[in-house]
Amino acid sequence: MSDGKEKSRWRRFAEWVNGDSVTRDPTTQYVMDRRPARAHAPQELHEERERLRLKKFLGLYPLAASFLCLTLIAILFATVLCIPPFGQPGNPTNNEVSRHYLEYTEEETGATNAVTGMILSYRGFDTLGESCVLFLAVSSVMMLLQRDGNNTDEQTLLRLRREDAIERTHPDNILRKSAKLLSPFILLFSLYVLFNGETSPGGGFSGGAVLGGGLILYSVAYGPEQLSRLLTRSLYDGVRITGLMAYALTYGIYIFAGANGITVEMEWMMTVIDLAVGLVVACTIYGFYTMFQRGKL
Amino acid sequence: MLEAISQNRFAVVAVILFGIGLLNIMLQQNLLKKVVGFSIMDSAVFLLLASLGYIEGHGAPIVEEGSVNASLYINPIPSGLVLTGIVVSVSVTAFSLALIQRIYRHYGTIELRELLERAKKEED
Repeated sequence: MSDGKEKSRWRRFAEWVNGDSVTRDPTTQYVMDRRPARAHAPQELHEERERLRLKKFLGLYPLAASFLCLTLIAILFATVLCIPPFGQPGNPTNNEVSRHYLEYTEEETGATNAVTGMILSYRGFDTLGESCVLFLAVSSVMMLLQRDGNNTDEQTLLRLRREDAIERTHPDNILRKSAKLLSPFILLFSLYVLFNGETSPGGGFSGGAVLGGGLILYSVAYGPEQLSRLLTRSLYDGVRITGLMAYALTYGIYIFAGANGITVEMEWMMTVIDLAVGLVVACTIYGFYTMFQRGKL
Repeated sequence: MLEAISQNRFAVVAVILFGIGLLNIMLQQNLLKKVVGFSIMDSAVFLLLASLGYIEGHGAPIVEEGSVNASLYINPIPSGLVLTGIVVSVSVTAFSLALIQRIYRHYGTIELRELLERAKKEED
């Protein structure tokens, strides 16, 4: 008895996750379906009144919204006129915190790029949270857009197949040749940016974005199947999860060693963290592209 | 007044962009255009933050090995904050676009008024 009930509850939950079909409890449905009784006013009068109210609201809303926005802009503008002038070294934002970061980053973290040193070591938890945000964003976009048998109708499948066939029979030669020429250099450049993040401009985020851009270019030029044969779903998920785990683990060791006064070689840790962030970012960008384009990896 | 504006030109532009984005969000009926307004607001915030960290005549914060002189470089903190902000704004934009695509698949429209009408009709 309870087993069957559990199963139905599980099925209802699965339907709720899949979306697009509201399941209602049959025992309370009549309460939800029942319209509130309006004995004192006839239906037409009530609808007329509702329509008038809606019209009044729609007429007033743009005015009220513009007034609110303009007031806010005026307040912000008045504030902006009072903040200290742009680009002066004595501004209150340029305080001892930034001076400390600039003077001690190389000594304390081994990175000469102060921004990378700051976001990966002093503010490493912040960056870990960012990586988690990216991870969750691509996961939720997958939940919303992934095509499977339940949420795709015949017509969409036919259309997708037709588009694929057109792409296969009429390849874009200019795009294909230029992608062939550019892809290796883009990938190489992204690796350079990733591994030199602590000594030159760049780092995990920019390198990962370049890497994702290279993957997207390849996918556009040679068709999505070509790349999904190399970068399968399980490999993609593996890279994504490994990146996040490697970050958490390395930064955990970093914090633990620092708190207990153990001296560790920090430069390789920065490189590992940079690489992990880069992998997460690249996977996220490529995942967004492919989810919005085709609905599957 | 004019001098104050020209001294804080980036902040003034940021306020104008912020206003454009906010008006877009409030007045546009199309959900896609609302997301565009949101992105414009994000850009305004990033512009303000990045301009706060700049110091005239100073270079990028990549310190030379050996002698460290903090008065040669710009403030690195706002750059790091902008990095955080960009990541979050990209994620939020992608998530809202995915939601809009689902809404379009279900209701066949992304105009807010039609959408509300259709949702109400479906409820009845």
